[in-house]
Amino acid sequence: MALLKLENITKSFGGLMAVNNVSLEIQPGEAIGVVGPNGSGKTTLFNVINGVYLPDGGKVIFEERDITRMPPHKRAPLGIGRTFQIPRPFSSASVQENVAVGVMFGTLSGKVGVDESLDIADRYVELVGLTPHRDKEAGSLTPVEKKLMEMARALAMKPKLLLMDEALAGMHPKDIDEMVVFLKKIKEEENIAIVAMVEHIMRAVVGFAERVIVMHQGKKLVDAPTAMALKDQRVVDVYLGRPVGE
Amino acid sequence: MFGVYLIMFLIGFTMPGMWQVVALLAFYCALGQSWNIFMGMTGYVDFGYVTFIALGTYGMALGVQYFHQFEWLGIGIIFIGIFLALFLASLSALLEAAIALRLRGAYFAIACIGINEGLRYFIEGAKIWGGSEGIIFSGALLKTFGREMANQLTTFWADFAVFMVAVLAAFLNIHYMRSKIGYALTAVREDEDAAKVMGIDTTKYKTIAFLTSGLLGATVGAFAWGLKLRHVFPADVFVIYYTIECVVVVLLGGAGTLLGPVVGGLIYGLSKYWLAVIFPGFQLLIFAPIIIFIIVAFPGGIIGWVKQRIKGTPLQRYIE
Repeated sequence: MALLKLENITKSFGGLMAVNNVSLEIQPGEAIGVVGPNGSGKTTLFNVINGVYLPDGGKVIFEERDITRMPPHKRAPLGIGRTFQIPRPFSSASVQENVAVGVMFGTLSGKVGVDESLDIADRYVELVGLTPHRDKEAGSLTPVEKKLMEMARALAMKPKLLLMDEALAGMHPKDIDEMVVFLKKIKEEENIAIVAMVEHIMRAVVGFAERVIVMHQGKKLVDAPTAMALKDQRVVDVYLGRPVGE
Repeated sequence: MFGVYLIMFLIGFTMPGMWQVVALLAFYCALGQSWNIFMGMTGYVDFGYVTFIALGTYGMALGVQYFHQFEWLGIGIIFIGIFLALFLASLSALLEAAIALRLRGAYFAIACIGINEGLRYFIEGAKIWGGSEGIIFSGALLKTFGREMANQLTTFWADFAVFMVAVLAAFLNIHYMRSKIGYALTAVREDEDAAKVMGIDTTKYKTIAFLTSGLLGATVGAFAWGLKLRHVFPADVFVIYYTIECVVVVLLGGAGTLLGPVVGGLIYGLSKYWLAVIFPGFQLLIFAPIIIFIIVAFPGGIIGWVKQRIKGTPLQRYIE
């Protein structure tokens, strides 16, 4: 059973076709890289999956359930987590409280009290290595720490599908390698399907993704196992310029 | 915080001539806190807040005026008045929530002002509830309760009830801040779209805060304007000026803090009262620059400023 299925999704803004007739399937526990140049429709695709935008046409099916018209706050507890390209912490709240919000509202049980949520949040704060900053205001963190905090917040929602928008942009190559190791570990332990959107950090794509979806001008150009996709002549032509590794 | 109220109450109760001053302060504290429950927690500025106070006043007036003929109701007409105040306010709060809460920022503020003005001219134009002549129900009070009891109701119990609303507002504020509602609303205030994606039903939590804030305002109106003044005219109650007073009280003290509206209410009420005593006629001329100075010097309000200064010290946990 596919975890997520998109059927002929179309979304346009005014005259611009941001996503044009895209269909895809994601299996539980998969690691997928979505790559493509700026403006190729990646972020719009994410926003259609988690309900920030309603598509003009097509269907979104999560665990065999049609969620095309479901509002975002109901999708999150089903198991759809999200991190943002530019981190969006709740700045005045502490790191621990930010993560606790994920526990309180993002899980299906929904019955977790405040104190228990804060305790559970501690575990995720530790998981991403932010325990020393637990009581700091989230707004005062460094950009990389904010990304880690968002990660903890999203993981605390116990997602089955985690959408990561440019999670690695702006990071030091050493941090990227660490992050890739961490993501792989989390994915195995919690059986989360992770869809990471990456604009141009190919070393991360090669290191992390089992399958790559290449977007180009709102369309799905290639959807294939990583090694194959990056050698595909069309991908080389429109996106990479030359094959990766040469 | 509850200590502050207790001291205020005792001063008013024991010192002759102070009761009116204390009642005025309690009025501003109660209103500031009620308004802050919505504004402080969500970041939405409701400029039409006076609608709730006005409808509360009307609720009390209607309860007393139309039910005093049933003599067996006795003191019950006051409770009917409160009930009607709450009923009218929740009706308008839910309606406003359905329409205006979909808007943000300045659009929300303008929509609320529009609803307030619309309601006023509707009452005057359609001549309901006495139209622009309003309702004068001092006679009904006298008839039901007799002179002495009516006097007590309007001079002591009305103020006392406002006190109780201030205490209740503080209690609800603390409760909300520490519960899931507080977390949800903090998320809404900081980043509403991210909050939705985190699984927060933002409309639900905004409506809870809006309704709570509106109902508290209506209760203040029912007692401080209704029962105390014994009349209501649309041109007197649907006045944006009073919303501005709420804004000033909250900004002076510190928006989104627990103590802020109380400190703001005390400063605003006291200075307004004393300036009127010392420089009658000139009070607003002197008052305006003082407020501008405080808001420029302490952008986070006085409590916000104190909070910044004591951050990281052991005193921190005493101020919220």
